[in-house]
Order: sequence, then structure tokens, then C-alpha cells
Amino acid sequence: MIFLTLEHILTHISFSIVSIVITIHLITTLLVNEIVKLYDSSEKGMMATFFCITGLLITRWIYSEHFPLSNLYESLLFLSWGFSIIHIVPYFKKKNYLSAIIAPSAIFTQGFTTSGLLTEIHQSAILVPALQSEWLIMHVSMMVLGYAALLCGSLLSVALLVITFRKDINIFYKSNHLFNESFSFGEFQYINERSNVFGNTSFFSTKNYYRFQLIQQLDHWSYRVISIGFIFLTIGILSGAVWANEAWGSYWNWDPKEIWAFITWTIFAIYLHTRTNKKFPPANSAIVASTGFLIIWICYFGVNLLGIGLHSYGSFTLTPN
Amino acid sequence: MDALALNLSTTTSKPYQQLQTHLIKSTISLCNSRIYCLCYKRSLSSTIITCKFKTTKQNRESKSKSVAKKIVVSDVPPPLSEDGGVARNGGAPPSPDRNNTAGGLTLKLLKKLQRRVLGVLSNLPLAIGEMASIAALMALGTIIEQGEAPDFYFQKYPEDNSVLGFFTWRWILTLGFDHMFSSPPFLAMLVLLAASLMACTYTTQIPLVKVARRWSFLHSAEVISKQEFADTLPRASVKDLGVILMGAGYEVFLKGPSLYAFKGLAGRFAPIGVHLAMLLIMAGGTMSAAGSFRGSDVMGPSGFLSNPLETFDTEVHVNRFYMDYYDSGEVRQFHTDLSLFDLEGKEVMRKTISVNDPLRFGGITIYQTDWSLSTLQILKDGEGPFNLAMAPLRLNGDKKLFGTFLPVGNSGSPNVKGISMLARDLQSIVLYDQEGKFAGIRRPNSKLPIDIDGTKIVILDAIGSTGLDLKTDPGVPIVYAGFGALMLTTLYQFSVSFTDGTAVIVGGKTNRAKAEFPDDMNHLLDQVPEIVESSSTGQSNSSSG
Repeated sequence: MIFLTLEHILTHISFSIVSIVITIHLITTLLVNEIVKLYDSSEKGMMATFFCITGLLITRWIYSEHFPLSNLYESLLFLSWGFSIIHIVPYFKKKNYLSAIIAPSAIFTQGFTTSGLLTEIHQSAILVPALQSEWLIMHVSMMVLGYAALLCGSLLSVALLVITFRKDINIFYKSNHLFNESFSFGEFQYINERSNVFGNTSFFSTKNYYRFQLIQQLDHWSYRVISIGFIFLTIGILSGAVWANEAWGSYWNWDPKEIWAFITWTIFAIYLHTRTNKKFPPANSAIVASTGFLIIWICYFGVNLLGIGLHSYGSFTLTPN
Repeated sequence: MDALALNLSTTTSKPYQQLQTHLIKSTISLCNSRIYCLCYKRSLSSTIITCKFKTTKQNRESKSKSVAKKIVVSDVPPPLSEDGGVARNGGAPPSPDRNNTAGGLTLKLLKKLQRRVLGVLSNLPLAIGEMASIAALMALGTIIEQGEAPDFYFQKYPEDNSVLGFFTWRWILTLGFDHMFSSPPFLAMLVLLAASLMACTYTTQIPLVKVARRWSFLHSAEVISKQEFADTLPRASVKDLGVILMGAGYEVFLKGPSLYAFKGLAGRFAPIGVHLAMLLIMAGGTMSAAGSFRGSDVMGPSGFLSNPLETFDTEVHVNRFYMDYYDSGEVRQFHTDLSLFDLEGKEVMRKTISVNDPLRFGGITIYQTDWSLSTLQILKDGEGPFNLAMAPLRLNGDKKLFGTFLPVGNSGSPNVKGISMLARDLQSIVLYDQEGKFAGIRRPNSKLPIDIDGTKIVILDAIGSTGLDLKTDPGVPIVYAGFGALMLTTLYQFSVSFTDGTAVIVGGKTNRAKAEFPDDMNHLLDQVPEIVESSSTGQSNSSSG
């Protein structure tokens, strides 16, 4: 009983903190840019959320006596945990634009999991025979972490697309100028490093420069995050295949969930190929990543919604039966 | 004046690099590469000093001599770039024209054809198209119901009310989409993808590694300044730059007045590894599809499995089947005690298998996959025991339901009434009377009789049967090897790309530098000009783009 209370408290704390953090983010990004302290507090808030969700998962682990990844609710909790960890890891290194994307992602998953809509799936269920294996931890955690990272990365790509698209509309008359700029961006960057020598205003407007730099950063970060997610997804799929060979008798059963995971993998493989090829403009790879975003949701949620195939553990019904 | 042309260019790590000759990516993290650098530092220090004071005039002279040789080297890059179009046109050096005979001609034609085919196959857009269509076909395979009878498709996809205006059962049955994952289009796509993987590895990735080992110097100041992001630092020394680059983990080579530095030969092996691992998995999958046998059988306790294969001359004997339960009464796990006997009747192996814990013996794997209730043993009014066969009423996943029926009274009448018995597992049997009302719950072995409308029933036993899957799959070891290789190379690939992310080339060129500016790179970029400037004290630090 004490565990249940603890779980309840932690759920609510994490949800409230995430909401506060997102408010702070909105304030800092929309209204004032200079409030550094406020920004710092939002970082601390995300840290607190991370610890809350970690505590939540551990509590669940203790009282259910198995790794808390046996149904959709738990995997959603784990997903938001994954978001918060992606948010925290780069925080120790340097500042970046990730938090603006990840904090809302965390709040949406956290809000969805804790909302009343899915109360039936809250209670931790018993483990069915097929799930009783050490592979559960490896496979599901890798998959969910992979989903979290890939979702973040593809969201960054969506942001890139939005900014690029807006740029085309707003400053269409400057397109020629931007074209040149994109070609010799490295030069500009280099010059900027030595801005004490050269004023960079003589070449182009500062605003455009920052916008371009933002696009570069988004591209860079989405690539990195997707790369990490891709590793997780690869490990997840492969460990799942090894597990399936133990439990179901074949390493590949053409189960809907498996197929969609493989489709996700293929899409992000395409992303990595287009990203590294010089012939394709960066927007192309961003489009691929954005389709990947939809496909992850189909894979993660859509297949569960249907509740078909061998992976029916994570399925849920909105009407109690 | 001793002018050194500097090319500072950046690139992020890419999983599939297409950098040209002079640029290689690196692992800084590998300690032996660092030692390697230090060795070079020592051996080169003398040469640096001699070349340091060479005048521009001398530079020009040495350039004019070496240009002819250089062109050969700088002409090689085109086949290395990743797209097949370049590989096709500017491709490999022309085949020697020594043979003028007819045989030589056909050989030449064949070679040309081969090169052409390779070029087409290693085309990246084609490979991407293949991957996309495989993904699309698989998605379609999950949408269209698989493995149904043709009648099902006639009804689901009728011609007069077609999906999207054209998609009817004709499409499905002609293209074999009712069994998508063995349909000709899907398999053809997979074969094409495998061919592309091989072609790409052969024509693009392996030459990339080969060329990375070669190094080349651009002697001409003009050639260098034509490269992207050329920068000139007047009166800076090559040596200083070399030292900085070594410090940053580059392998630095100096020849005359020129410097060439590269990082990360290792980064080029990883994509090859990924592709080979994919091919290995595909090969294993093909072997599985061709040579595997799979059969499932539901057996009662102490059942025998007849020989499924000629090679498997072993008899499988089920000794016992039992289940574990949670405190709440739900099934925790089911076990089957199996014995294997050889032809002489000697027991060669005995193991209790359960889900997630199969039995492996001589290439054969026996899985515990399923269970069901086969028989209910009852006493009716003290008579018996009768064996009632249980029928599965619901086999939905792990929430099964079995039922049986005991006719009561006049069995000759058309409306037979009787007692229904339902069971979820082997633990408890729910009984309903003739009207279908709940009568009670009894446990097997409890010997506790239940009286339903004057009929006394004792449930003696519930006999379960085990569902076993028997499988032999020669492809598994290969697939597992592929899995391992894929996992390692993917991990390696990205660990490589995360540790480096930079490449500084003097007299070199990078393809994608303009688009990528990782933070790590900025740090190095900062450093290089700073130290060069500080070393050339008192000199102007102006630079021109």
C-alpha cells in the first residue's frame, strides 16, 4: 500500500514539475530571452522530473517484482523517462536547443499516461509466461529508449523543416543571398570566430546568420539524437529477435509489431543515408525523419491499438471488459 | 615570404562517408593511434626544419614537376564518391587495351557491362528507393490480411467497390500479396537490395579505405586556394600546424613544403561492416527459409512424437505436463518434462522445458509454446470414471477458456440438456446446470461431489496437453553472427563518429564541410589559427578568405 501511495505522489509531482517547466520555457522563448535564472530553474525542474520518474519506475519495480515494462502504461512512463534522460545528458556538456523540443514531449507522454483516460491499464499486471525472461529488460528498454531518441530527433527535424519553410516565405526576396550564404557558410563561421578582426555585419545581417546557425544546429542535433536512437533501435530489434528465437521458436515471425519496427529501422537507415550524402539537401533528410516520426507512432501505438499479433501484451482497450 | 596555404575544413562524422582522397575521419579515442602520431612527430621534426624556410619560388618549381603525377591521384576520387553516377562515368581506370582479339573484345564488353551494372546498383538513390519500397510493401503486408483463402479477398476487396479506386482482389492475388512476405515482388526487392549492398561495398566503400591509406600532397598554392574555405596565413610555419594537428589526434605527413593530415581510418571500416552484417543476416534468413523445418504438435501427457525428419532419429517422449500459478490463480508458467530416446530406446536427454527455455539437441530445438485442456475425468453418480473431451471455447492469447458438456437424462431426445463445465486452467472447474445457471466451482482432486439437479458429479482430474514446437533451422548461427556483427559495427560506427567529427586538411578538400558545424569542431578551429598566430609572434594575423 505504501508503494502505491508513493507511486501516486511521484506521478503527481513529476507531472506538475513538467508543467511548470514547460510554462517557464514558453515564457523564456516567447517573452524574454534574458532571464537566465528562470532558464536555469527550468533545467533544474527537468532534473527533478527525471528523478521523480526514476523513483516511480523503481517503486513499481519493487512492488510488482518484475521490470516495469510489461504493459503500455509502464512503457509510456519509460518513454517519458527516456525523454528526460535525453534532456539531461547534453545538459552537462553544453547548452543546446534540445530542451525546447524535449520538455513538451515529456509533458505530453507524462500527461497522457497519468490522465484518467487509461486508468484501467495503470495497475501493474502479472507477467505472462512468454515475458518471463531476462531479455525483457534488454529488449523493451532498448526499444523504448530508441523510440524516445528517435522521436526527439525527428521532432528536431520537423522544427528544421518549419524554420526552413518559414524562411522561404518570409525572406523570399533574399533567397539568392541566402543561397550564397549557405554555400560559404563555413567561411562565415570561421570569420565569426575571428570577429574581433572582422565585423561580420559587413557580409550579411546578423539575424539571418543566427537563423542559419539555428538550422545548422537543429540539423546537427537531430542527426546525433537519431544516430543514438538508431543504435538503440538496432540493439532492441536484434535482442528481440534473439528472444523470439527462445520463446516463439523463430527469430522473425512477421508479426505486425516486428514489421513496423523494421519499417522504422529502414526509414531511419534511409535518413542516415540521405543525411550523409552530399547530393541531397538537408531538407530532404529532414523530410525523411519527419515521416519517421509518424511511423514510430504507428509502430509504438497504432499496432498496440489494434492488439493483433504476438506482441499483444502492450495492447489496451478503452472500454473495460 | 614563406606563405603557407591552409585549408581548414570541417566535417561531421558520417556513417557512410564520401569524403575525397585527402580527408579521412578518425578515432581520437584509440590510444595506439596517438602513439603512432608521436612517432611521426619525432621522425619528422628534422624534415620540417629543412623545409620550413623554402621560398615560394622553390614551391612553384616543385609543384610544376609534381603536377603531372598529382593529377593521377586527384583523378581517383570520383569513383570513391558515393553516388553511382560519378562512379560510372569517371570510374575506375580504363581497362588495358592490350588485347585486340575478339575474345579480348567480349571480355572488355563484359567488363564494361559489369562496371555499368555495378554502377547502377551502387547508386544511392536506387538503394534508398529499394529500402523505401521494402518498407512500403511490409506496411501493406500488415494492412492486408495475410494467409486467407481467395474467397476472403473476393469479398473484402470487391471489384465494384475497390479501395482507392483501383485496388481489388486481382492485384492481391496476382502479386501474391495474400502472402506478402514470400511474394515475388517482395523477394525481388530483397534480392535487389542485397545486390545493391554488395555493389556499394565493392565499388564505393572498399576503395575508400584503400585510398585513405595513400596520401597526397597538393603542392600548388593555386590548387589549394581553389579548395573550399582556403585560408592563407602569411609567415606561419608548417611545423606549428603539424604539431597542433598531432595534438588533435591527426596523423600528419609532411613532404617538402606540404602537409597532409588525416584522422580515422577506422571510421571507414564500420560502414563496410554494417553492410556485410546485413548481407550475413540476409544469407542466414535465406538458409532458414530454405532449410528449416517447423512443426507443432499438441500432445497429452505421456505422448509420443513420431519422427518428423529422417535425420532426426530420436523419439520425443512427454513425461509430464504441469503449470505454475500466481497467488491470484493466474497461470505463471507451464512446463513439460521431456525425454529423448534414441532408436535403441535409450534415453539420451531429459529436460523440463518451459516458455523461454527450450530444449536443444543435435540441431533440433523443442519449444514450449502452448497448452490446452484436453480431458476432464469425472464420476457421475459414482459411476465412471468418464473422460470428457474439452473443447477450446476461446484461445485468445493467454486468457483461454475450455468447455465440455455432460448430457443428462434421455440422450435420445433431440434437445439434449446437460451440465456445462468450463475451465480457464487446470485449477478449477466451473459448473453450470441444465438451465445455464451457475452451480458451483470444484477443484480437481478435491473429491468433493457437487449435486446438480440430482446428478452427483465428482471431478477427478483435469488433464492438460502441452503444445510443443519442433524446429530445426540451419540459418540461425549465420543470422546470429550477422546480428552480432551488426550490433558491434553500428555501435562502433557511431562511437567513432562521436569522438571525432573533425578533419583538418592542408591542401585538401571536403565535400560536406559547408553544411556541418559541430560544436567539437568549433573548438579545434578556434585553436588552430590561435596557436599558429602565437607561434609566429610579431607577425600580422590577418587572413583572407
